[in-house]
Parts: sequence; structure tokens; C-alpha cells
Amino acid sequence: MTAQLRAGQNDMLAPAHEWFASHGWAPFAFQQDVWKAYLAATSGLVHAATGTGKTLAAWWGPLLEYLIENRTSGAAPAVPLRVLWITPLRALASDTAGALQQPVSDIGLPWTIETRTGDTAPSTRSRQSRRLPTALVTTPESLSLLLSRENASSQFTNLRVVVVDEWHELMGTKRGVQTELALAHLRTMCPQLRTWGLSATIGNIEEARRTLIGRQARKSTIVRGVEPKRIIVDSLIPPVIERFPWAGHLGTQMVSQVIQAIEEGNTSIVFTNTRSQTEIWYQAILAHRPEWAGTIALHHGSLDRKTRDWVEDGLREERLRCVVATSSLDLGVDFSPVDRVLQIGSPKGIARITQRAGRSGHRPGASSRITCVPTHTLELLEVAAARDGVEAGSIESRCPVSRPLDVLAQHVVTMAVGDGFIPAELVREVRTTEAYHDLPDDEWEWVLSFVSNGGDALKGYPEYSKVTPDADGRWRVTDRTIARRHRMAIGTIVSDADIVVQYLRGKRLGTVEESFIARLRQGDRFVFAGTPVEFVRVRDMVAWVRRAPDVKSIIPRWMGSRLPLSGELAAALRARLGEAAAGIFRDAEMEALHPILDVQGKWSRIPAADELLIERVHSREGFHLFFFPFEGRLVHEGLAALFAWRISRIKPISFSLSSNDYGFELLSPDEPPLHEALANGLLDASNLLDDIPASLNATEMARRQFREIARVAGLVFPGFPRSGKTARQLQASSGLFFDVFQRYDAGNMLLSQAHREVLERQLERTRLGTTLQRLSSARVIITAPKRTPPLAFPLLVDRNRQRVSSEKLGDRVRRLQRTLERAAGKPVER
Amino acid sequence: MTALDCNDAPIDVRGEIITLLPERAAFWHRTATLLVADPHWGKAATFRASGIPVPSGTTRDAVDRLASAATRTLARRIVFLGDLLHAREGRSARMFESLAEWRLSNTGLEVVLVRGNHDRRAGDPPGELKIDCVNAPYLDGPFIFTHHPIKDEHGYVIAGHVHPGITLRGPARQRERLPCFFFGSDYGILPAFGDFTGLADVEPAEGDRVYAVADRGIMQVY
Repeated sequence: MTAQLRAGQNDMLAPAHEWFASHGWAPFAFQQDVWKAYLAATSGLVHAATGTGKTLAAWWGPLLEYLIENRTSGAAPAVPLRVLWITPLRALASDTAGALQQPVSDIGLPWTIETRTGDTAPSTRSRQSRRLPTALVTTPESLSLLLSRENASSQFTNLRVVVVDEWHELMGTKRGVQTELALAHLRTMCPQLRTWGLSATIGNIEEARRTLIGRQARKSTIVRGVEPKRIIVDSLIPPVIERFPWAGHLGTQMVSQVIQAIEEGNTSIVFTNTRSQTEIWYQAILAHRPEWAGTIALHHGSLDRKTRDWVEDGLREERLRCVVATSSLDLGVDFSPVDRVLQIGSPKGIARITQRAGRSGHRPGASSRITCVPTHTLELLEVAAARDGVEAGSIESRCPVSRPLDVLAQHVVTMAVGDGFIPAELVREVRTTEAYHDLPDDEWEWVLSFVSNGGDALKGYPEYSKVTPDADGRWRVTDRTIARRHRMAIGTIVSDADIVVQYLRGKRLGTVEESFIARLRQGDRFVFAGTPVEFVRVRDMVAWVRRAPDVKSIIPRWMGSRLPLSGELAAALRARLGEAAAGIFRDAEMEALHPILDVQGKWSRIPAADELLIERVHSREGFHLFFFPFEGRLVHEGLAALFAWRISRIKPISFSLSSNDYGFELLSPDEPPLHEALANGLLDASNLLDDIPASLNATEMARRQFREIARVAGLVFPGFPRSGKTARQLQASSGLFFDVFQRYDAGNMLLSQAHREVLERQLERTRLGTTLQRLSSARVIITAPKRTPPLAFPLLVDRNRQRVSSEKLGDRVRRLQRTLERAAGKPVER
Repeated sequence: MTALDCNDAPIDVRGEIITLLPERAAFWHRTATLLVADPHWGKAATFRASGIPVPSGTTRDAVDRLASAATRTLARRIVFLGDLLHAREGRSARMFESLAEWRLSNTGLEVVLVRGNHDRRAGDPPGELKIDCVNAPYLDGPFIFTHHPIKDEHGYVIAGHVHPGITLRGPARQRERLPCFFFGSDYGILPAFGDFTGLADVEPAEGDRVYAVADRGIMQVY
């Protein structure tokens, strides 16, 4: 680049430098790199830790561009939509809008900045449907909704850039695919559109760029943000480690140590892994320090917007001493770091612990520190392993989702509801996304026929039509009810329908998944947002509650709470156990675990890195086989189904299965032929292509996976907020759909998608294969402990089970009948 | 004589013999009556008409199942215990044609529908099907046929509506969930006849009889 040009470019960047200077800051080199690239019409991906200036890196490009284009103009009229800012959590939208507003107000640009999410008020929505702001902060769902409007294409004519915030959060999910499809459509409408992604550092950053930018030929680049701070991982060690940690379960026993840690600083965040744990720990801390009421707060994605705003402001202004939070505070929200970060329970992944640690450490150049609090003594092992992983820099990858047909079917209907589409044009556009670049013709044809005649290639479904071509060959949805229902369903891509929790007289508390509310009966109590409430009834998608007298009640158990151990962390953990097997205990965590591992060693064995430990235990419940591959729960679920199926080939037998991050259990009423199975290739990595689908059919896994697919593809819909009875006749569970498809339309590709998703996403087929290869060359150690050793205990008490059987249903029922007869001899337990 | 087989389960209800059939229907011997609850015909069609793709075939299979149960029991009468049709939107000509075809070849059969909550919105079946539609309760002998299982002091209630299912638990955490017949002290509930219907668990108390439908047989489980 010539000196002259460089000088010209510096001129162009001058307003940004001035603005930074006016706040006493200087822009980072990476921010300037992003601005220059943006002005040179390049797209790209910026990756760095949270809170390191990525927002301003992406934002000043469009601002500078506007300033260059409008050098001379004085008081300009409001500028139409130029920037779309996509954020994965609607909780982040208002914060982001605030951060974007600041420079715009400071330099007095005629730009409007607004949000549009599920939280947006109807009045704002209707204003936006007449005129969109200059910059719109929105979620993938709300963007799809914008595309489903009839005048969609005319809204985006001035659009210059789409910024996708927290792209690493989105890209491994179906919402990421939804975003890819929306981006592809926006690029068709505005060929000059640039795309910028903001991401945490992940293992496959190049793939993240490709997935974001798509396959249209475009200039794009990767910019690395500021170097991460050094991270210190330590833990609070329980003062007394029980030698018989039956469940090893500590619950909130550690609360006084946690309080001590909180008192060491002015501000703290206590991270938990689930929303229910946030409620539990909030209560526990308050119970020990009642005088902290008002200075400690809760933060999770289910809380109402106003409450979240209050909490976030409180942290910024240091009004709050401590916030108990889930991943809703991992992301976005720009506030200065706090003094202490605590992590309740295992972080389950190295990227996650890095991200959370980044919330601590005030001084520039200082290191970040995260203190882990075990909820189960064995979690100390995971902390030690996580430290190894952080030191080795082995950050996990996020695996993008490959061509999910449910998301495509949803998108096709969205396009038909909006301006309509020409199939040949749409498929060309769809194939520019990374997710569908290899979409085969037959799958595309199937999706088209699925939304037009039901997808049965031979006959088509009678009385059914959703999308139909008009006279010009443009495919549209003409039925207004169907269009309305589709718009309702777009928002449900990730979770169950959310139900609003509200007091009988007035105040809205937040939302909770329908599946939780469905299990409640009138009078049941639960804690929500730190307040005990009593369930009264559900009406019109609102769960009405009243204040309950005290806290001795149940806690909401939200879905998606069981995070699996990442592959990277699992490998580090095996290494640590291997050391323990060799008698090496090199830090405080391992030292603390010593007594438990001693019991494990005495009663059974501590498996070395090259060993596969199998424990057989006979109890009143039946015959237990415990396997310990230490590969994470997802892989174990697949292995459990596979092993159960392979053993059941040898003789008719029924198993119930449980899995966790360390291993899995096969439980049966009769003794399983383990040695025969081992001799017949139980651990073989061959024949997987046949054996895995067969073992999946034997479990309910595909049926379970179908829940999400049925929702995304619009089979199960959340119901209209106030339609009352008419919607009820359209309610059927996804399980029923699954059964009916299997029986009457076995070629339905949503069924094959369910199988594919179980294999690839849920069970991580590639990891399953590598694991089997490792296991088949491992030394198999079979022990027969008299009582259940520490590693096996958590599996024993797990009630969340799959089943595999090679017995006839009639035989199984007959055995259950016998049990009942025996039980009938004794007084009935109730 | 009726052609029952070993998979059927005759039981005594208030001195009458009722045989529970794996077709998910019951047969009252003295009056040669086939009792059927909750067919929900046209449910899948209702979904399709509303833009939700569900394959067809569920209603056709159910009609075949009904025909075979009626034939092998030599039934002279069928009593539907409500929810014959699922919804107005599901009233397709095609479905009524297949029903009419079966009805034409069984003109000697008396067919009664005791209306249920769905029938009120869905409307009565067309006249050419020759189904007598009556409001609950419908009394005959010791029995009160109705849709909603509610105690009635004038007789023993036989009803549907609930779509009863039972979860059986056994050693080694084994578990099965199956459709069932439920006979309590005041009323009996038949399983839903329709295929595209769910289950609601019943919790038997002391003295209740519960018969699960498993594979092609009936098994008493409580």
C-alpha cells in the first residue's frame, strides 16, 4: 500500500480516533484492521474474548462509511435500515443497542437504533412495520419473521452490513443454520452486502468464517482480537472429604466457603450450569447472609427483561455485591470485569471456563481467575483436567449442523409466506450456505413436496396443501391461518414453547418451558426468580401463580440442563486418572480426591489411561454392568445402546441404561453374558454402520430426537396465545407423529433426519468410532466389587434411563405381572 | 357362537360377561354388543386440512380393525362411547366413503353413537351411515353407556374419553407403558380405539381391575 493511500485511509478513520480520544481511549490495532477491511468492502470474522472491544470494531466500520458518504450534508432526515445486528440471546439486545447508541449520540448522527425481539412491544413493532430504524438489533427468529412479511424485499434495499454477534454460540445449532439461510436470502436481495461475525476464540475458527460468509464468492478475512489474559483456575476444596461419598454429592454444603470468597472482593459473579442451580444457590447465599438482601441478584435467560436490566445495571454501577448467573452472563453484556468469578459445578468444557474466567480481572494485563466450587467431589477431577486443558490451549471446536431438513422446510415456508419464491432460484440460494452446499436434488425435491403435498412421493397426502405455486410459478402460502400459525412457530426453533409466569394480580415474572408447567398441579410450589410461588392454573399461554409462604418447595428443572463433558476435557481427565492410578497426585484437587480414589482402588480399580474398566455388581435390583470409557455422556449414551444391543443378540434379555460423563451402566433382571459378548466382538469398531442404527431403533433415542424436529418442521406448534379451544384439536405429541410416520410413511425424510441427528449430533458418530477403536485395543479389566464403588455410584442412582430389549413385549409384561403379584403378597407401598 | 380366541379376556362386570379384545374394543355377550371408545376418525385429516402434514391411513386401518372385530365376534350392535369424529375440519368425503362401503355390507348391524365432547363440534356422521346418534347417558341392562367416566347411581358406567394407559414397573428398572382397560367400582373405561391418539396414565386403587393391551393379547396387570 502506498504512503498516500495509507494517509487517505487514516483520514477516513479520523472520526473514530477522535471519538475514542474523547473518552480517553485509543483504538486497538485489531479494531482499526476491521474498519479498514470493512471500508474495503470485505466481510470477516473477529474473534477474541468477551468484553474486549469487538462491538466497537464491527460498529465503527458502518459509521465511518456513512460519514464518508455524507461528508457535506447538514441536518439529514432519518436514515433507513443500513445495519442488521443479530444477537443469539434476546436478553442481550437492549444492552447491545445501548452500546451502539453511544457513539451515534456523541457525534450526532441522524441514525435511529432499535431492537426487535420477542420482547418488543406491539406499538414498536407496528411502527417498525412502517419504517425500520437505521440499525436494528434482532435475533435469528425475529429476522426470519421480518423475511416472512409480504413486502420483505423492499425493506432491505439500503442494507450495508449484517453483524452476527456471538457467532460461536449460534453456529453449532439449528438457529445458526436458520441464520445462514436468512443471510443467504439477504445477500440475494442486496448483492453488495457485507457480513461480519463476532466470535469467541474456538478450535475451528476457519470453519466458523466459512459458515458465516457462505459460498458466494466474496472477500473475507479473519481478525484476531486482543490476546487473552492469562487464566488461573483454582477451586474451593471441601474441608472434609467423606471416604464414602455415596453420591459424592455436596449440594450447597460449600456455601460458607463461597460466601468467604465473595467477601474477598467488591463484586463477584457466581456462575452455575443450570437455571435451577442459580435459584438454589441464590437461596442458599441469602439464607446465610440475610443482610445481603438487595445487594445480591439472580440473572438467567428466563427472567423478565426489566429484572435483567436492573441486574446488569447493578453490576456496572457496583450496586450489587454478587450476581448468581447462568450462561446468560457469559455473553455480550459489556460491563467492567468483577473482582471474583466463581463457577459452581464442573465447567464441562475448556472454552466455557476460559470465557467465564474472562469476566474477572480489573487491571489491564492482569490475569483472570476463576474459582471452581465442586457440587460433587468427583468434579474436582474435572477441575484439575480443565486446568490442564486451559494451559495446553486446547479450546473446543463448534461443529456446524449439516443440512437439517426441518430447518429447511421451515425456511421454505417462511419464503412462501413472505414474497413467495421460484424453486430453482431458491435452491440456488440455499446451496450458497455452508449447511446446504451439498444438498442433493432428491432432498430438495422432498422438502418441496413436504410443504406442498405432504412428502409422500407416490400419493401425496389428501386434503393437505400448505404451499402452492401461483399462475406465475411463484410458490406461496395463501391460507392466512396457515401463514399466521407458521409465524408463531418460527420462534420455537430451539426450545419448548415458553409460558409466561405471572402473578394473579399483575406482575410478570418471566418465562418457563411448557414441559415444566405441564407437570405441575394446582397448589404445587416452586421458586422462580428467587421468589417462592404457588401454581394456580395455565390459561392462554400464561401460568398464573400467587406468592407462596416459604421456600420449602420444588425448584424449576429447565430443559437442556445436562451439559456433556467436551472431548478435550474428557481426554485431559483420562490423563489425570491415569496419573492417579500410578500414584501421582500433583495438586490440591487430586490430593483432596485421594481418599475416594483409594476406596475406588481398593474395592475395584482406578483405571489407567490404556485400560477399560468394567465393574459387575449384583444387587437386589438386578445385575449391573458398569463401563468406564471416560468420553463424555453423549458418547456413552451411544455406546450403552450399542453394547446393550450387541449383548441382547446373544440371548433374550432386557436392559435399562444410564449414562454420565464417566461411564454407563447396563442393568438387567438376568445375568448378562458378558464374557461371551466380549469374545464375540462387543468392543469391535467394525460393523458400526449396521449395528448403530439397529441399536438406535432398539432405544427411544430417535423418537426423542424427533421432538425438536417435529417442532421446527411445524408439526407440533405452540398454539395461539388466545385461541383457546380451537387449537386443542390440533394437538398431538411428537411421539405420536413419529409412530404414525413410521407406520404410514416410512420414507418420510424427517424420520431419517431424526436418525442422522442422533448419530451425528447427539452421539457424535466420529467420536463413537474413535472411542471404540481406543477401547478395542485397551486392556479390559473386569472387577466384581461387593458394593458399588465411588465411580459407579452416580450411575446407579440415575433415574433418567433408556431401554433396550430383545425379549417379546408379552414376555416382558408377564415378568412385570409376576413382580406385581409378589408385591401384592405384602402390604401395598404407597 | 362367537369366535373368540385365547388372546381375548372374558371378565365379569355386574354379572354380565364382557370380553376385552386386543383390537381395543370390548364385547358384551348377552346382547352381542361391540363397545368402542374414542375412534377420533378424521383426526389426521383435520391436521392435514390445517396445513400440518400427517400421513393418511390411520382411519382406514381403524375401520378395518373395527370390521374384523365385529365379524369375528358376530356382533349385532356396535355402541360408540363418544368421539367418533375428531373435528369438523376432518370430515372428508374420502373417509365417509370408506365407512359407507363397510356399512353397506353390514346392514344388519345396529350402530349407536353416544355423543362425546368432540362429536358436539364435529357434528354427527352423515345419515347414509345409519348411525343412531344419542346424547349420553344411553342405558341398557345394568350399564350406563356414556362418554365421560362419572359415577352414576343408576347403574355401572362404561365410558371412554380418558384414553387410559398404564405404566408397569418391574425389577432392574424395567418399564412398559401400554393402553389399557380400566374397571373400577363405579365405572369402566375403554382404551381409545383410534391409532393417532395418546395415552393418559391411570392410577389403580385397591379393588380396581386393569387389563393392558400388549402385542396381540390382553393381560390383567392389576
